[in-house]
Amino acid sequence: MQLFLQNLVNGILSGGILALVALGFSLVYGIMNIINLAHGAYIMLGAYLAWQLFTSFHVDPMLSVPLAFVVLFAFGYVVQRTVINRVVRAPVLATFLLTFALSLVFVTIALFIWTGDTRGVQTSYAGANFTLAGVTVPWAKLLTLVVALVITGLLYLWLHRSKTGRAIRATSMDVGAAQMVGVRVAHVYGITYGLGAGLAGAAGALLTLSYPLTPTMGDPFLIKGFVVCVLGGLGSVEGALVGGLVYGIISSFATQFDVTILGQHLSGTGLQDVVALIVLLLVLIVRPRGLVGRATA
Amino acid sequence: MLRIIRLFLVAAFALASLGVPVAQVGAAGDTIVFGSAVSLTGSLTKEGHLTQEGYDFWKDYVNAHGGLKVGGKSYKVDIKYYDDESKPNNASQLAERLIDQDHVDFLLGPYGSGTAFTVAGIAERKKMPMVEGNGAAEKIFSQGYRYTFGVLSPAKKYLQRVLEMALLQKPRPQTLAISASSDAFSLEVQDGAVAWAKDHGLNVVYANKYPDGATDVSSVISAIKAAKPDIILNAGHLQDAILVNKGLKEQNVIAKLYGYSVGPDTPDFVSTLGKDAEDIVGGAQWSEAVTYQGVPGFYRTAKEYADAFDKQFHHRPDYHNAESTAACLAFQYALEKAGSLDKEKVRDALAGLDMITFFGLIKFDSRGLNVFKPMVVNQIENGKLVTVWPAAIAKAKVKYPARPWSAR
Amino acid sequence: MKAGAAVGRRAGITGKRWVFISTLAIMGLLLFVPSFHNDYINLTFRNILMYAAMSYGWNLIGGYTGYVSFGNVAFFGIGAYCSAVLSKTGIDNVFADVGLALVMCALFAIVVGLPILRLRGHYFGIATLGVALGLTDLANNLDFVGGSGGLNLKQADQAHFYLYYYAMWAVTLVCMLATFFIARSKLGYAFVAIRENEEAAQVLGISPTRYKVIAWALGGMMGGAAGAVFAPANGFVDPGTAFAVDNNVFPIAMAILGGMGTASGPFIGALLLSGVNEILQEKFLWLHSLFFGAIIVLIVVFLPRGLMYLVGLRGGVRRWLSDLRAFRV
Repeated sequence: MQLFLQNLVNGILSGGILALVALGFSLVYGIMNIINLAHGAYIMLGAYLAWQLFTSFHVDPMLSVPLAFVVLFAFGYVVQRTVINRVVRAPVLATFLLTFALSLVFVTIALFIWTGDTRGVQTSYAGANFTLAGVTVPWAKLLTLVVALVITGLLYLWLHRSKTGRAIRATSMDVGAAQMVGVRVAHVYGITYGLGAGLAGAAGALLTLSYPLTPTMGDPFLIKGFVVCVLGGLGSVEGALVGGLVYGIISSFATQFDVTILGQHLSGTGLQDVVALIVLLLVLIVRPRGLVGRATA
Repeated sequence: MLRIIRLFLVAAFALASLGVPVAQVGAAGDTIVFGSAVSLTGSLTKEGHLTQEGYDFWKDYVNAHGGLKVGGKSYKVDIKYYDDESKPNNASQLAERLIDQDHVDFLLGPYGSGTAFTVAGIAERKKMPMVEGNGAAEKIFSQGYRYTFGVLSPAKKYLQRVLEMALLQKPRPQTLAISASSDAFSLEVQDGAVAWAKDHGLNVVYANKYPDGATDVSSVISAIKAAKPDIILNAGHLQDAILVNKGLKEQNVIAKLYGYSVGPDTPDFVSTLGKDAEDIVGGAQWSEAVTYQGVPGFYRTAKEYADAFDKQFHHRPDYHNAESTAACLAFQYALEKAGSLDKEKVRDALAGLDMITFFGLIKFDSRGLNVFKPMVVNQIENGKLVTVWPAAIAKAKVKYPARPWSAR
Repeated sequence: MKAGAAVGRRAGITGKRWVFISTLAIMGLLLFVPSFHNDYINLTFRNILMYAAMSYGWNLIGGYTGYVSFGNVAFFGIGAYCSAVLSKTGIDNVFADVGLALVMCALFAIVVGLPILRLRGHYFGIATLGVALGLTDLANNLDFVGGSGGLNLKQADQAHFYLYYYAMWAVTLVCMLATFFIARSKLGYAFVAIRENEEAAQVLGISPTRYKVIAWALGGMMGGAAGAVFAPANGFVDPGTAFAVDNNVFPIAMAILGGMGTASGPFIGALLLSGVNEILQEKFLWLHSLFFGAIIVLIVVFLPRGLMYLVGLRGGVRRWLSDLRAFRV
């Protein structure tokens, strides 16, 4: 029972950060139909920004989260306005390839600036934890989850209440109609992509608390974000959150199962991602638009 | 007309792709050229750089000391590098390029067991001697290859030494938990440790693997915690070691000894983890503390090597540096012994090598693997690597049991 | 079928005949690569051919039916493992390898394709990615395929090294010709009809699911054949090499750069991308990725529909720029 609860907590905690990673990816994907392969690079840039601030000025990574968001937002906005907007109406794969190439450029530049050395942030509360009903909860990861939830909530409100947020959602439904009612599409696209990059940057800054930094650190998160955003439902804030938590919990519980069939040992920890991916496929077959996806995307 | 121009365009693109520049580097005159595809970008960048430093250090030494004397003639040494982007699939193409395009004289190994395995197959087909210092998986050497030599101890031994040391401590540990990353090298490390533990009466309470490149190992840690082991080991790479160590502290898992196969020896481990790295032990191919007295021709002791290395690269050498330099040294002595650049003669000289160096004994078994050099165990104390085993060369006694996380 | 051909040309599937003939001519030239007696050149072109074959496989489902798959590496991996398992049982024959790979890939495509090809657009794409990732981890955990350590095949000697070059060449040629003729058959029109408007196609009596599964299976067989030749040529197979990320991304990139939904595009794209990559690797020890990325950015920005677009362009630079403007916001 104790191990069950511990795994539930582990799953939720790791799912929280996955949700934040998937959120930005999902927005860009759902609203602009861009499969943003540079998302992992933005995570990495956000992480290095937090690390640099910590190392040079002893700024706590938690305080760097909003800054990483703002800096990466601006960066993403500029990238969208100067490069991606040029081909955003081309077939979807043009931007797929474009963002793949951009990520190669960003990662190599990061390698040039920060070298390939593995870096880490040593906060005073690194590894600090508390125990509740036999379940150990690390503060840093709990804090990460809370910040991820807060950001998700703020984004939801902003998208549904603010003028720009509504413009973004309107553009995602019908570009032509949005243009007719006076939405500046180029600007709205810039904002959307900036949001995606900013969220990735914030996730990266948060990750420094629990994850070592290298220029290629974003790759595994990019792939998980890709899967998670569809599990929940593309382009919706709730979808990313639900998808992240479900993915985290399933792969956490999957680690508990070790079976031997016909002399073949199946290790739960080795196959944890397989179990989560099988669930993804089943979900898609039963609900083709994800767990909380609407009937029409 | 337009049609012809377009045809021309397409042809030009095709030709541009075909016209890969032909570089002639190798074997010209009085320079011996070595070739190596190392990881300079991608996930193994750090390790690739350490390898390159180890190679370059030897090259600079030889060139500053009159070159290599082979058959009464002095040769300068050069090394041609390519970047394999940490991908084994790239390594094969680059190895072919080094051999058939750049005409290098000999191959130095890449970083990592996967890439070394790929390149070894090509070296065999091309009858090209290769010495490598960074691929310890025994599967490289169980193929019956004649042209690949490894100066390092096999993967199975990485954590055996740690266990050997642990069993002599009081109170004697009774139980072992060991996790491993799902890659060929790490699984061999795990197998070796588990087999040794069973032979020596240690109860293995947890042994499992997690996906290669995992971003979250918290569930593995929870399972280890539930098994309440005396010794916790992890077979993996630097990233894994850092993640596991963070995870152990986050869930406050208390054991008497924590040891990782690769990680603690890389300076990044301490710089990333700070005081949480204290008391962690790691199996190492080499440390500054080893007391071998090498044959002349290069720095003869570990201390001399380390001091000179520090002067050139501004950091103490770790074992990746040393084993890379040792791979070069094997070539140096083999070439001198062979007295010829003939590949077959050099291969035979390598096979018959029996030399003490600053790195330890370099001698290959029939498979080409150096099973004769023992591993050492290092522990991190006050942010520094201290050799704690074997007892004969230990700089300090191992801190056992390790302090709890909160007391570091 | 005359009207169909006109529609096809407008939709960009049937392209220009002389382009395809030029492509075949280059392909013919590649038959002489082994005469260089340079294993590096041999291997480089074998890899180009391998990527081209995988790219053709992707092109059939992604380019012609418009169902973008991010998991076609699964077929390459299955093909590679087929050869490895055969080698383990003592059979080292490239025809047997390819034959088994074709059967297994077709079966796999049908079994997996029937449920996931009901998914639309991106959901299909991610489902395929999930399949590929899942297979990778499965291969890491199953003992009979060697787990993470992989499987060794019989080491290729120099004679076999050449043999595998010709085998890969033949596989690629078949993929190329198959694509060319499929595109001009009823089958090809059905694929394109699905891409242009699935509901309309259904009204016309084309069963989308059936044709999508056919496209996916045929494409999968192409990737599988490439994998089946790769494995014995490489000498060993493990999850990292068989399901490598590059084997997933590069074929897609090549099809886009060359021209999706054309019979020449994937091959031209493979030549271009590999050629650029080789030259940069040679010139820049570690900054090559930066320039590689930058060059792709430039190509996509100026030729978002690939090189084949340039070939089929009528109206010169002015038309080109106006087409480019249509992609901007």
